[in-house]
Amino acid sequence: MLSINLRRQPHLFFILLLLLLLVSTRSGLTQDASTTPTAPVTANDVRDVADELWCPLCSGVRLDACELKACEQMRDVIAEKLTAGEPKETIKDYFVAQYGPQVMGEPPMEGFNWLAWILPVVALIGGGVFVWQRTRKMVVAPDAETEAAPAVSPDAYQTQLDEELKHYD
Amino acid sequence: MTETTNPLSGPEATAQPGHRRAVRLWQGVFVLILLGFVGLLALRLVQTTQSEQRADGAAPAFTFTTFEGETITLDDLRGKGVVLNFWASWCDPCRDEAALLEATWRREQANGIVFIGLDYLDQEPAAKAYLEEFAITYPSGPDLQSAAARRYGIKGVPETFFIDPQGNIQELVIGPIVSQAKLDELLDKIRP
Amino acid sequence: MIFDIGYLVLLTALVLAAFGILAGYLGGHRRNTRLIQSSFNAVYAVAGLVLVASAILWYGLLSDAFQLSYVWNHSERALPAFYKFSALWGGQAGSLLFWCLLLSGFSAIVAFANRRHHQVLMPFVNSVLLTTSLFFLILLVFAANPFARVGFMPPDGQGLNPLLQNYWMIIHPVMLYLGYVGMAVPFAFAVGALISKRLDNEWVRTVRRWTLIPWMFLSAGIIMGSQWAYMELGWGGYWAWDPVENASFLPWLTGTAFLHSIIIQEQRGILKVWNVVLIWLTYFLVILGTFTTRSGVLESVHSFARSDVGPYFLVFLIIILFGFLWLLFDRLPLLRGEHTIDSYSSREAAFLANNWLFTGIAFATLWGTFFPMFSEILTGERISVAAPFFNKVNGPLFLLLLLLMGVAPLLGWRHTSATAFRKQFTIPILAAIVVGIFVFVAARSLYPVIGLAICGFVAAVIVQEYVRGALARRATTGENLLVAVVNLWSRNGRRYGGYIVHLGIAMIGVAVIGNEFYQQSLSVTLAAGESTTLGRYELVFQRMESNREANLIEFGAVVDAFSLDSGKQVGTLIPKRNIYDKTPDMPTSEVGLHMSPIEDIYVVLNGWDDGGASATFTIYVNPLTVWMWIGGIVLVIGTLIAAWPHSARRRTEAVRSLAYAAGDD
Repeated sequence: MLSINLRRQPHLFFILLLLLLLVSTRSGLTQDASTTPTAPVTANDVRDVADELWCPLCSGVRLDACELKACEQMRDVIAEKLTAGEPKETIKDYFVAQYGPQVMGEPPMEGFNWLAWILPVVALIGGGVFVWQRTRKMVVAPDAETEAAPAVSPDAYQTQLDEELKHYD
Repeated sequence: MTETTNPLSGPEATAQPGHRRAVRLWQGVFVLILLGFVGLLALRLVQTTQSEQRADGAAPAFTFTTFEGETITLDDLRGKGVVLNFWASWCDPCRDEAALLEATWRREQANGIVFIGLDYLDQEPAAKAYLEEFAITYPSGPDLQSAAARRYGIKGVPETFFIDPQGNIQELVIGPIVSQAKLDELLDKIRP
Repeated sequence: MIFDIGYLVLLTALVLAAFGILAGYLGGHRRNTRLIQSSFNAVYAVAGLVLVASAILWYGLLSDAFQLSYVWNHSERALPAFYKFSALWGGQAGSLLFWCLLLSGFSAIVAFANRRHHQVLMPFVNSVLLTTSLFFLILLVFAANPFARVGFMPPDGQGLNPLLQNYWMIIHPVMLYLGYVGMAVPFAFAVGALISKRLDNEWVRTVRRWTLIPWMFLSAGIIMGSQWAYMELGWGGYWAWDPVENASFLPWLTGTAFLHSIIIQEQRGILKVWNVVLIWLTYFLVILGTFTTRSGVLESVHSFARSDVGPYFLVFLIIILFGFLWLLFDRLPLLRGEHTIDSYSSREAAFLANNWLFTGIAFATLWGTFFPMFSEILTGERISVAAPFFNKVNGPLFLLLLLLMGVAPLLGWRHTSATAFRKQFTIPILAAIVVGIFVFVAARSLYPVIGLAICGFVAAVIVQEYVRGALARRATTGENLLVAVVNLWSRNGRRYGGYIVHLGIAMIGVAVIGNEFYQQSLSVTLAAGESTTLGRYELVFQRMESNREANLIEFGAVVDAFSLDSGKQVGTLIPKRNIYDKTPDMPTSEVGLHMSPIEDIYVVLNGWDDGGASATFTIYVNPLTVWMWIGGIVLVIGTLIAAWPHSARRRTEAVRSLAYAAGDD
């Protein structure tokens, strides 16, 4: 009754989940760290950095989209620093040191804020394990019904008949 | 072909009392978590409706270094009345109160009152230019990492806290202080 | 005078609602026909009264009755009539009245449609729906009176928030409210089933359509909100994971899980606990969402001005949480599954995984939304949780969900044999590989390859199902393929309409991947006549234009776009900034947008110097983004197909047993 693939099925899901979680820790646009620009700094270079910072006064507004004076000042500072040849990561670190972690748009992975990241993962995996255990007990426990279940028939007419009967509403 | 119903199907088929205990335990955990969530929501609601009355209790500690290089902590100022003003060079309403604050500082500094200016989300060159423009002489410096701002829960600038010599917040003013009479009235609450 | 009547009308509705709740509960408990009928009458009466109160407020808005504080705050003489009408839901009190209007109307429709059916459940259903209405009426009468007076007669109003003077901003809240309100109905049935201990499939079968329609409105509302953000806010994206956006998304997540999970309960009699919990969570999240947007507990760009309604909501939320839990725990032994899950490769197992994933995503989103609040209370520090967090946590989960969406229809009930696996999975997997290779060659990055390959998989599954279904019909009835497809819709609308919905979701997935991973952007200042290039386009700034409307001035920059490959003009884009007379420091903007199936050209006007000699723009090229809007339309069409009522609906138990006996497909 149980075909060969099934044993591997649940594990596949978890491996896929883990893979995807690892692989997507770098989401969004792929950017390399800017090197020292030899050309004058353009508004576009500033926007490139501002794209990855968040307005510290608003909630959820990206720095390049914010029209407040404080944000304009921040963009001016970015322009100055880019002209001085500082790479993007250094500029971002500067703002975190100067203004605080709210410019990063995500909780830093330290102290209490670890909880922000860990809890969803723990809850998801914990819940998944719980569901899987319950399912396993049902699947593995011998049940008079399941042994009587007939094999699948790929007959088209049979399929059609089952479709109609089963999904009549 | 008939379907057999199996009322005790699944893991409940064995060890009934033990299982019931386990179920009750999980139910209890679930209820506790929900209670916690609701409790925090309630607390938050109370906090936000009282945000105008944040003037309560001990003033959170802070440390900062002035633009001249002097390091000051709130503890150092115990025994004096502290006027803690959050400002920024990009803040237009702050300009409306700058002159009044400086003038009152000059008048009161011998009376055990100290004015402190914490610069919020700002840059040094612009801040220094602002200080020069209004000839501000009371200790002013950047609030790095917005550490003090976050502890005082400010939502914007200008916000001014009046802290008494025992280190408790007596009053909070959101927005610029433009009336000398009002400022004097507030100062009277924190005189040593 | 008439506005005082409006207040009294609301007060009357409140009293009648309270009566109706008691009548329904007692009547249902004692099977007392007269009390039961009273509960129905109460539902109809409350709906009528709230309609009258709403009409009075509309009258106040349209007749510029500025002595009413609500009208004064949200309207002005120069406002076009259309926006005066929509100002009903533009502010706190009015939108609560609108909520109540839709809810009481919906309750009346549900009551009327079921007045001769479900005799045991309906009294409790009426009670629960009236309880919700009662809550909103209490708010309106005691905390947010739409008919409150200013105390004098102002000459003019303060005007409607400029951001709301927009077609999208009119229709999007209506859609969302319809979705929110509608979700109270299946919850009412669930509570009715629990109270009356009628925990067989009666309630589940009844609520299917009553859930599907609000779900459609909620989905449409969310997508419209995204479209508004895309076209008006000008930051190149459509979803910011703002607390209010999340408030609308959370009930959608649990509601979608519920919609799927009840299929399993209908077919196999399991997942009963899941179903009541999912619909309870949906209802709770609806009320929680309404609470967070109005109480100030979370900071958001969307929030209403803070008011006193918070504590009332908190009490209601506590009642919903603990009242329902008590009921659930008490009835838990009655919710045992009738069968079991037979194997991991069954459709039931896939739907269980579906529930797990949706709940996981909902939890992660709820956690991320409230974390700043937890952080501030527990540590005193303010943290911001924005898109980077949600993308990292939810991104892979959505990918898994997409995969599951493709896999689940291919699995059989109870188990899937090796033969069936081969037959079902071969073509879709091949399609996924082909798409994956194509994407990898075209644009070498790994994550979109996986995502688009999965979307290809899903699309292939849907096409395969349609082809097989149509061919099967043709084999038995001889009709041609087109007629066969139409018959698939009319006979198995639930399944084949559902596939169309999944197709819409896959299209949205494609748009999200395109916009997230392949967006190009550029900030530039151009003098009049000057041009710049981005992607495959050349953009020329021609001139500035200005246009005077009733209560604002519109400034637009005319930008022509040319294809670099062919040199031909692709379109003219006119990004705008609107300066409102009453609120000149709150300008709104409109994006200059040219859409095509491959990519959008998206131009934002940041500023210009006097005379329009030069202007500053931010330009984006957004690949595949149009598929989000197309996907939304496809989703709505699919839902309509799935929900469409047909004749000859009677299904007997014998037929169902026969279906199981005959086996899987």
